[in-house]
Amino acid sequence: MANYHPSDELLMEFTAGQKQDALGIMVACHLESCLECRKRSQVFEQLGGEILGDSQETPLSEGLLGKLLSRLGESPAPAKETDVQGDARLPRPLRRFVPGYFDSLPWSGLSKNIKEFTLPLGDNRYVAKFYKIAAGKELPVHTHEGNEFTLVMSGQFSDDAGDYKQGDFILADSDIKHQPRAGMNEDCICFAVMDAPLKFTGFFGRMLNPFMR
Amino acid sequence: MVLRDQNLSSENAKNLRPLDDLIKRIAENQDQAAFVELFEKAGSKLKAYAMRCGALDGEAEDIVQECMLTVWRKAHQFNPKTASGTTWLYTIVRNKRIDMARKTKYDVVVSDDLWPEPEGEDLETDIERDLNGKIARTLLHGLPDEQRQIVYKVYFEGKSHSEIANALDLPLGTIKSRLRLAMKKLDTLAQEQMTWLIIILLTNF
Repeated sequence: MANYHPSDELLMEFTAGQKQDALGIMVACHLESCLECRKRSQVFEQLGGEILGDSQETPLSEGLLGKLLSRLGESPAPAKETDVQGDARLPRPLRRFVPGYFDSLPWSGLSKNIKEFTLPLGDNRYVAKFYKIAAGKELPVHTHEGNEFTLVMSGQFSDDAGDYKQGDFILADSDIKHQPRAGMNEDCICFAVMDAPLKFTGFFGRMLNPFMR
Repeated sequence: MVLRDQNLSSENAKNLRPLDDLIKRIAENQDQAAFVELFEKAGSKLKAYAMRCGALDGEAEDIVQECMLTVWRKAHQFNPKTASGTTWLYTIVRNKRIDMARKTKYDVVVSDDLWPEPEGEDLETDIERDLNGKIARTLLHGLPDEQRQIVYKVYFEGKSHSEIANALDLPLGTIKSRLRLAMKKLDTLAQEQMTWLIIILLTNF
């Protein structure tokens, strides 16, 4: 069971259909493994139902029902984007965006101990990446210009604020300066969504900055 | 307290869930009359929702058509144990609205990514489901106007907090604190409702 969860505000926005982006995918991944948040989200869906039920009625064109009835026999559109299989070990919302599983991804190295893989989910608002931190190693101290959302995919990591394991959903904002360290026993893989790039603050960190864009 | 003078009898549940039977008839018998009745009950509300979310008149009617066709084809997936018919319709129109609004090549995420079709058994019970519906209704109407206004904006307009702040001509901090207050109030109300439910269950059975 996860110990860290999306905020009510974020979960409501997601359930209201306002997060059709990398962050929405991350929330959906968390929901897949978190019964508690699925239940919270169900209440927000009910709220949506109530709001729909309370809507003013907007008159429909006269021919609409006829048009609709004549279409009932149509067969539904065949292939969908989401029919791509992907690796069954990944959460379903991510599968079609990841070519294989963690061990076979074309990771690029920021350093020997830190690798990244950019997910093809980028839009003009968010950057979406997997980070792999080698067992027992840490990221350079860094702050964020904006928000960074992290979902632990495998392994665990910790920083000054807590210990995080698979399924945990963490938000770090620009006030937080932290140095995540992977657990000793295995590499830690995280799914991160940022609305601004990381900013490393130490001397070696500053040298890394150009590679983090 | 709304729950006080109600009970969870089937009569009551029926009033709260007027669309459920229609959807069931469509699922079981491909009942066109039920489909027409559902269209008449819900079509204009679906359109209103789409338009408040920013669709133009014609686009909104396309969304209504796609929603109703989905209802026709997927009525068998409707599970009254987990949600009311209205809530099920809401999830359909929300998803159609998202998918039909995708415009640029950056819009790679579709509603099926965010809400994959369920694989396993759902865990909810009838009581929990009716309770959720009642809670949602009471919560929505229990919020102070200024907080409810912001919740509506989240659901309808997909605006970020800063866009809502601009639209209402209020500081961003005010919007954030109102939304936070709304969430807190929802939580308190939900807990109160829970207490009433337990009292009702204890006295009914």
